[in-house]
Amino acid sequence: MKIAVCIKQVPTREWQPRLNDDKTWVREQDVSYEMNEPDAYALEESLRLREKHGGEVVVCSAGPARVQQVIREALARGADRALHVEDDMLGPADAHTAASALAPAMAEQKFDLILTGLQSDDQGHAQFGPVLAEKLGIPHSTIIMEVVVSGSELRVKRELEGGWFQHVTMRLPALLTIQSGINTLRYATLKGIMAAKKKEIVKVAAPAGLVARHQIVALYAPQKSKQTVMITGSPAEAAKELVRRLREEARVL
Amino acid sequence: MSREVLDVDVLIVGGGPSGLSAALRLTQLQKQKGGEPLSIAVVEKAREAGAHSLSGALLDPSTLRDLIPDFQAKGAPLAAEVHEDNIYFLTPTHKFRFPITPPPFKNHGNYIIALNQFTKWLAAQVEAEGIDLFMGFAAQHVLYEGTRVIGVRLGDRGLGKDGKPKAAFEPGADIHAKVTIFADGVRGHLTKQLIGALHLDARSQPGQFAIGIKELWEIPKGRLKPGTVIHTLGYPLKEEEFGGTWLYAMPDDRISIGLVAGLDYKDPLFDPHAAFQHFKLHPFIKGILEGGHLMRYGAKALPEGGWNTQPQLFFDGGLIVGDAANFVNSMRLKGIHLAMRSGMLAGETAFDAVRAGDTSSAFLARYKMQVDESAIRTELYPVRNVHQAFGAGLIAGTAFAGLTMATGGRLMEDLPGHAGHTRMRTLAHYYGLEKRDILTGSNAAPFDRKITFDKVTGAHYSGTHHEEDQPVHLLVQTDVCHSVCGDEFGYPCVRFCPANVYEMVDNGAGGKRLQINASNCVHCKTCDIMDPYGVITWVPPEGGEGPQYDGM
Amino acid sequence: MILVIAEQKDGKLNRASWEALAAAQQLAGAGTPIKVAVAGHGLSNVAAELAAAAVSEVIAIDDAKLEIYTPDGFVQALQQVIASVSPAYVMFAHTYQTRDFSATLAARLDRALVTDVTAIRNVNGVVAFARPMFQGKLVADVAPQGPAPHLVTVQIGAFRADAVTKGPAAAPISTAAITIDSASIRQKPEAPFQEAKQAVDLSQAERIVSVGRGIKSQENIAVAEQLAKAFGAELAASRPICDNGWLPMERQIGSSGQTVAPKLYRSEGISGAIQHLVGMKGSRTIVAINKDAEAPIFEVADYGIQGDLFELAAALIAELQKS
Repeated sequence: MKIAVCIKQVPTREWQPRLNDDKTWVREQDVSYEMNEPDAYALEESLRLREKHGGEVVVCSAGPARVQQVIREALARGADRALHVEDDMLGPADAHTAASALAPAMAEQKFDLILTGLQSDDQGHAQFGPVLAEKLGIPHSTIIMEVVVSGSELRVKRELEGGWFQHVTMRLPALLTIQSGINTLRYATLKGIMAAKKKEIVKVAAPAGLVARHQIVALYAPQKSKQTVMITGSPAEAAKELVRRLREEARVL
Repeated sequence: MSREVLDVDVLIVGGGPSGLSAALRLTQLQKQKGGEPLSIAVVEKAREAGAHSLSGALLDPSTLRDLIPDFQAKGAPLAAEVHEDNIYFLTPTHKFRFPITPPPFKNHGNYIIALNQFTKWLAAQVEAEGIDLFMGFAAQHVLYEGTRVIGVRLGDRGLGKDGKPKAAFEPGADIHAKVTIFADGVRGHLTKQLIGALHLDARSQPGQFAIGIKELWEIPKGRLKPGTVIHTLGYPLKEEEFGGTWLYAMPDDRISIGLVAGLDYKDPLFDPHAAFQHFKLHPFIKGILEGGHLMRYGAKALPEGGWNTQPQLFFDGGLIVGDAANFVNSMRLKGIHLAMRSGMLAGETAFDAVRAGDTSSAFLARYKMQVDESAIRTELYPVRNVHQAFGAGLIAGTAFAGLTMATGGRLMEDLPGHAGHTRMRTLAHYYGLEKRDILTGSNAAPFDRKITFDKVTGAHYSGTHHEEDQPVHLLVQTDVCHSVCGDEFGYPCVRFCPANVYEMVDNGAGGKRLQINASNCVHCKTCDIMDPYGVITWVPPEGGEGPQYDGM
Repeated sequence: MILVIAEQKDGKLNRASWEALAAAQQLAGAGTPIKVAVAGHGLSNVAAELAAAAVSEVIAIDDAKLEIYTPDGFVQALQQVIASVSPAYVMFAHTYQTRDFSATLAARLDRALVTDVTAIRNVNGVVAFARPMFQGKLVADVAPQGPAPHLVTVQIGAFRADAVTKGPAAAPISTAAITIDSASIRQKPEAPFQEAKQAVDLSQAERIVSVGRGIKSQENIAVAEQLAKAFGAELAASRPICDNGWLPMERQIGSSGQTVAPKLYRSEGISGAIQHLVGMKGSRTIVAINKDAEAPIFEVADYGIQGDLFELAAALIAELQKS
């Protein structure tokens, strides 16, 4: 099976954002990066599928030179080779643009199965996977908890709202977006890290004519637009007033 | 599952400035001298280079020039060149400027740097030479064959809180090396093991340390010119307490601000973190911080004992470099250039040893000889007594420091040094009959959440994180916590830890029990150093965890 | 004209559809017509319900092949409806189902899609949609680029379902003229099912009652449980409670536990350490009870009561049981 895993490099969870001067993006200096967590689970799932069905796992990533970090990490964990669509403008790009950047190079590879995380921890559009599938002309399903491959057929378990699930069957080739936490991530070993240095990373330029779909006109810290209403009085009075407000104002009861 | 084994010629434990300098020097020698390439590996517990690096910092670029002459062209992240040195003596409400800057505090030609960024850059130089940098791997034990060091064993990964393997369990690999260079930093846990096992401190004074607590702030535009250096003495530290503060202005409206407190204070109820908060509330400092916001917090111990506290630096199969060897100039407040120099020298000796096929203690002693002939000794020997002199108080210490400067350290006998934690007085001794509420530090500070923040908030801003379900990495060997410590010292761990790792909580039976919030740990080593009974041992948690010191 | 896509399942309208309608009405202002469409099979009840809103038309996209949701089926159908009504915007609620097909639809139409929107803004005359970035650390006002229609999905709970203005009379209902090519539906879904509740999933809870150190002892957890029950809420805790073992780790909220954003978050005796706040400050309505008026939790609360949590708990349980 020829499996692709699309991995994004995102700022670490512990990062404290600083805005650039015109407040339309963040300052990238001093930022530490890591592999997008849902993509890490997608990678693990792809490695397990390869262990079960044979074949190869190819890491595909779009972004500036710095995304080599997560590509190498994926190779160290066991991916076989990588494809890097390199361009600085792809760092802050929206999901649609990123998918359009990767699609031509990935189409050539004719993957049987493409896995990626359900969304990224930085911009969180949850669009990349389905857009890529559409560009490649293959079916998809999202927020996947389980993947079972039999021959050229795929049966997956989708997560729905409120504790509901659903099985869906599709023919390969297909694309899946993976839910976090569906498996246990393996550690990279020393040998894995050393071997990663010898694995092939093919770099291609971004295709011409990429058009941004989003323009960020303002970026800011969330403001507390609400004023805290302190409710006073005896316990019985305060309780009564609080319940009234929750019912009538906030409408959460 | 079997344990991985890796064989290399030179293993460097620790990916900080000293370890990376050793690695880089080895590749330079390789290129220069040709021949069979040496296999070299560096292991570092942080997830990425620089993540655990924290310092003020002012870099003396002398070693950098020697190691990487074209450092400017290679984009070394030297944030700002120092253009203004200021030293003040503070009282609670005022400041008094020192009319002249004493020579050791003259920073002309030095650079303000973020050690986190500098280390990252240095690591990139090492990686560009093709060296394997194994990030996120914590070395747990030294491996011996008799008394010869043959390498290290890395920590297991994927153990649960109960010590049992979880689903992704990987036993720690063994790395065997002909020469192991220990660059495990201040109070390095492996160096500590080595000193004990090989009696490397037979002829040296016990190490002396201080804790440095640092914050990175973004302040309103243009308030301070980049390159401005401010140091203060006096308030909020008492006359008997060693230490001082710094405030360095970096580009892009960022400032590095912090307090250093000697880990040899007498008052068992002293809280270094509280002292730092008081410092920030001083009108002079508050005026600089007001309107700004906190970006990052962190803490780390630093070696203060100087030349006479260096352990024996060489032994069969190994060498010690950097902060682990206590190479910090506590008078100039600089150690990075010395760490790098020692790394370079160790790299040279290691190279020669591997090529000569002789990695015995006798051969490796050349490293010590090189250190003795280098700028390390030239710089550290004259000031070898400075910290020890401060044991007699700020005034005595300052006077002594002045005398040292004047005489270049000549004609001076070596002052005795004592391990700092032994100087902590008991409550009875320090407070006599005065009844104290031991849950409140003697210098407790208010937290306004604008300028001053509590330790829990600090822990959050350090970016530290650890897998919750793993064995606790702070090993507390006895039960003094529940028997005598309360009465004797009033649980000082609660106060000296800058990250709220140690808490005395209600035990549900009217008393208190020690709760260890291991996942708050910022790997500063203060507890390992300062606990008055000496019963806390810090070991590394799972590799790849700990603080995320972006920009620190 | 704004086209809203409502969601239904087995003849029952998803409540979030009203939220999307409210957002559309806000975006439309006066004068811009709104049409609402719903896809599926056997839609007369749902269509009638939607017709009560102040919309110019309800479009029932009714086809046996749409009875069971598939992304391919829905994208095919919606593409045709959009082509026939040419809206400036197409709006959806950001449900699991929408996440499964909206980006595909946008890619097929080659149009911009902005997801998980929390507010509609006008920045210097440009319509922009506010959405969370970097795990809620920042908010971005995004202006979709390129030709119309622009697709927008709104975050669940960001707009108020009850803010939808009703129409003076029932809106006309039409049936969309579409053809679905079943051969091009590449997904074969089975019937949805529920799994036995193994673990507590606080991230799905609509209401949460959370306790902190102020609860003082393990015995008092029972009071919190009663309060949670009275509110119809899940019970959660800040870290110290879980560290003590008074509640299991899976009920912990904060940076080392779960992140939640329920409609109602009640904190009892929680001071509001930053590690806890990052786990819950996205909650729609936050009520805090703490003895200490200076506790940081009050900085994020909508309603606060400084007082004794046990007295208040008793009073609240009594008050809630009255109704």
